[in-house]
Amino acid sequence: MTQALFEIDRLSGGYGSGLVVRDVSLAVGRGEAVCLLGRNGVGKSTLVKLACGVLRPAGGTVTIAGREITGRPPSDNLGAGLTYCPQERVVFDDLTVAENLTLMRDNRRLDAFDRFFEVFPRLSERRRQHAGTLSGGEKKLLSFVRGLAEGANMVVIDEPTEGVQFENVVRMADLIQSHKQAGMSFLVVEQNLTLVERVADRIVIMDHGDVVHSGAAADMARDEILSYLTV
Amino acid sequence: MESLVVTQAINVAYEVLILAALVLGLAVVMGLLNVLNIAHGEFVMLGSYTAYLVQKAGLPYLAAVPAAAVVCGAIGVVVERFLIRPLRYDPFETLLATWGLGLLLRKLVELGFGRGYRSVDIPISGSINIFGEAYPTYRLVLMVVSAVVLVALFVWYLRAPTGARIRAMVGNPVLAEAVGIRTRQLARNTFVAGTAWAGVAGVMIAPLTPVEPFMGLTLIVNSFFALVVGGMGTVTGLFAGSAIIGGLQSVLTAAVSPTTAYLAMLVLSILFLWQRPRGLFPRP
Repeated sequence: MTQALFEIDRLSGGYGSGLVVRDVSLAVGRGEAVCLLGRNGVGKSTLVKLACGVLRPAGGTVTIAGREITGRPPSDNLGAGLTYCPQERVVFDDLTVAENLTLMRDNRRLDAFDRFFEVFPRLSERRRQHAGTLSGGEKKLLSFVRGLAEGANMVVIDEPTEGVQFENVVRMADLIQSHKQAGMSFLVVEQNLTLVERVADRIVIMDHGDVVHSGAAADMARDEILSYLTV
Repeated sequence: MESLVVTQAINVAYEVLILAALVLGLAVVMGLLNVLNIAHGEFVMLGSYTAYLVQKAGLPYLAAVPAAAVVCGAIGVVVERFLIRPLRYDPFETLLATWGLGLLLRKLVELGFGRGYRSVDIPISGSINIFGEAYPTYRLVLMVVSAVVLVALFVWYLRAPTGARIRAMVGNPVLAEAVGIRTRQLARNTFVAGTAWAGVAGVMIAPLTPVEPFMGLTLIVNSFFALVVGGMGTVTGLFAGSAIIGGLQSVLTAAVSPTTAYLAMLVLSILFLWQRPRGLFPRP
């Protein structure tokens, strides 16, 4: 692994008093993509929610570029260089596609998104449309573009390809690859092996709230990955 | 007959615009934060007392506008920090808490000023001729100010970045935080804007109504009727509710009696709560 940009150290937590994630540690290097895999309900989304401040951890620390951000509200994390794209309710339904993208910018110009619109022309066609009227896959694309366009060094994305057409999954993978080369790092919670095989430098597999495997993606065959994902 | 129709039409427009101005703060806090601020009428009452004190001190009446906004805004800051936020903006808990707050504010004002009526002189006297009918200038000024404020707010809410961020926060607070919106700060500012505007509305109506500690009770009831009918969380709902309730009140008061008007508003609100509880234009 290259020098660590984002580190989760013995993180524990869950909902209310129940622990879903126990003492999980992982790190993401600069320009690296780590894919977090596991069956449904093993704690992947909970882990990223804890790491990104959506849930308050019961223990452990989270750091980005050596700066501790444990338990800080997500709105503070963007300034620290961390972007989070949640799994559910991924866009602002009441805002247009254009407003979703420019919400935190000083102006509403969409020039900065042209390169993304070239890859996903459907978003450009629908830029004046309320995001709530998009299909599930289109909402995921919008969320993905928003996350990349924020320009943070570290992007955490939870299930970005859910409901997305195969050709767009490939395009998403290409975009992640090009952004990695520009120095951006990714932690991607994913079930879709098409994306994982195209972008992952390392694979971390969770089960029952804990990490059960971690290693270089190149060292893991598809069958081995699948063995962790099936009951 | 013609003159009666003109006067009545202006009266309806006046009632609608003033009600919309009074409902505005309540609608902002209820529609955007899900907090039904039962003490909203008391913030209007505090604005009216601020106007009374400013006039008594010999200052220009216009000085009451920033003074009331500061007084009610400052109280709003304290209320948000120590009452609304600890209750996590829970609709039912904050409803009970603000009911208690209204009681407290009424009693505090009663303690300081007594229960008697205070009168505030009309700052702009005289009348203007409209279609041959003389109409009080101050009322016309209030109508223009209300209309300008409401339209400006409507445009701001739909076009300004902060308006979009408020809509984002209301629709999806988790994602709003993730994209960098400080939702706690924005919610506080929204609440304080609602109380500050209530104070300004109090300044506007003070010369036209007896200023007394219980004046907020009537105001909150009419404002609530307007929200029930119009729907919460949309500017269209605010206008529609104010138009229906304000118009109904004005017409029935003139044509029948104030009691009949109040009864009609009550029945209409009950029907809406029963058959269409989200009102005519609720937030999707």
